[in-house]
Amino acid sequence: MPTEPIREYADSDGRYGVVQTQYAHFDGVQLESGFYLGPLAVAYETYGTLSPAKDNAVLVVHALSGDAHAAGRDEDGRIGWWDAMIGPGKGIDTDRYFVISSNCLGGCKGTTGPCSRNPATGKAYGRAFPLITMSDMVNVQRMLVDRLGIDRLLTVVGGSMGGMQALDWAVRYPDRVRSSVVIAATARLSPQGIAFNWVGRNAIYSDPIRACGDPEKEALRDKDGRGLAVARMIGHITYLSEDTMEVKFGRKRKLTDMEGFRYSLGENGTENGEFEVESYLEHQGSAFIRRFDEDSYIIITKAIDYFDLEGQYGSLTNAFKDITAKILVISFSSDWLYPTSMSHAIVKALQATKKDVSFIELDLPYGHDSFLVNAGMPSMTRIMKGFLNGVR
Amino acid sequence: MASADLQEVRTPFDEFEAGFNVIIDLITPGTRVLDLGCGSGALLQRLRDEKDVEGCGVELEQDSVIQCVERGIRVMRLDLDDGLGGFPDLSYEYVILSRTLQQLMRPDLVLKEMMRVGSKSIITFPNFGHWKVALQYLIQGRVPQCSTHPHPWFNTPDIHPVTISDFRDFIKEIGGKIEREIHIIGNVPREDAFWANRRAEWGCCLISAA
Repeated sequence: MPTEPIREYADSDGRYGVVQTQYAHFDGVQLESGFYLGPLAVAYETYGTLSPAKDNAVLVVHALSGDAHAAGRDEDGRIGWWDAMIGPGKGIDTDRYFVISSNCLGGCKGTTGPCSRNPATGKAYGRAFPLITMSDMVNVQRMLVDRLGIDRLLTVVGGSMGGMQALDWAVRYPDRVRSSVVIAATARLSPQGIAFNWVGRNAIYSDPIRACGDPEKEALRDKDGRGLAVARMIGHITYLSEDTMEVKFGRKRKLTDMEGFRYSLGENGTENGEFEVESYLEHQGSAFIRRFDEDSYIIITKAIDYFDLEGQYGSLTNAFKDITAKILVISFSSDWLYPTSMSHAIVKALQATKKDVSFIELDLPYGHDSFLVNAGMPSMTRIMKGFLNGVR
Repeated sequence: MASADLQEVRTPFDEFEAGFNVIIDLITPGTRVLDLGCGSGALLQRLRDEKDVEGCGVELEQDSVIQCVERGIRVMRLDLDDGLGGFPDLSYEYVILSRTLQQLMRPDLVLKEMMRVGSKSIITFPNFGHWKVALQYLIQGRVPQCSTHPHPWFNTPDIHPVTISDFRDFIKEIGGKIEREIHIIGNVPREDAFWANRRAEWGCCLISAA
């Protein structure tokens, strides 16, 4: 096991201070599938102050494993996942903007998801939770924005799955967003992306079967298997790049019996991560089990798989025809999960429909997760500051 | 002649005020302008502030692209040599290529793309035909190095030196028409300068499809 904690996100100071997750309650939401899901709770946090004209609201949308806690410190001292970007004087300056961050529909961090109680059975939904789409998540965010009394968002910003939602906002609610920042995203999940998600879900499905609506569901720590950890490890491989792995881990090993050799596997025939890259993934997987719910993982990755604006609207140009928001598309040169070519496809369709689009590919070696790591912060901060400054 | 003498006479490459002024004068207020190789967006910022232009820049250098965003300039990080595939036909009134022509791998293809995307094109380039450049080559027998072509031959972005006379032939060749030709001589823009090909440090042309 690694001695020092492996940070998933960029180092940060939690400058905004202590924040508390709040909850908005709704009767329910009509899903795209036609299913009515209710009651509905949405976990969210806000940072900064809403201006009297209510024109300084920035909606931050998280990626697959994120939550509402984007900035500041929670009661346990945990720093938010994009604290390096959000706070006083930072890229998204809480002295100027009112920042909203919510947990997505289907999540396991306070918003209604598989861990929530199914009113029909009185038990947790578990795998009986209805399948949802990216647009369902966006609709729930819109309900929250309505509840907060905000007519028009200054910007919606998100990376990866969050980027898909930032784009979907601009497509579906053209009169509700002035701008969208779409980071390391795609308008259509590639077959390769679907394949990785499928393998991840299969790891979960290979765990001992637990009956739907297990009453013990709320206890995230009680797992019957390690499927979710394996899914997370696969995910992490796709978020990193070959270069990052080479620099960060190389072929370094933690466990050798003598003179660089290992004579046998560890106790009970388990390896315990001999190479550093293995122990990194092991750590990420184990930590993830403790903080995430496997059924949420299934529901959310399904929603990502379904995301295909091109298929949904016939073509991207048709999907984008009503967009009025300024769009900023950012990709990372080393991202092979959602490579620059996928951002190009978004940009070209926006150009073809004569939209106000800017595009930046950043040369960063940290793969898909570049928007979350230390090295990405200086340029990302300059870009966010500059872009937000120009949104009217 | 020492190359240090030449450098003092030439318009400094990085202070292209005269060139910017020429371009700005050519542009009708309130139009859409695409600036290829826009650098940090200085020209587009002036066009926005002085001519109420709706601008967009294309630039390859990452830090310059970020500077554009900081200036509030709409920008795309793209390689011009990959073409302007994403830009629809005639989507801009003007397409500018300022100080970048000589750095392109295929100037002909980029120029054709410019004429497709914009109604008019404005191109400025350092004139390799200037008599001092020529003299340096003739007398010293060396690849000229001066402030319009400041890099040594073995490490220069200016891979395609071009003269004003070359440029006239080139535009005819690719099916364009030079509507106006302005020469910058000693930092002063002139339109009917005598022997421009040998006297101008910079050429600036307004091009339309023939």
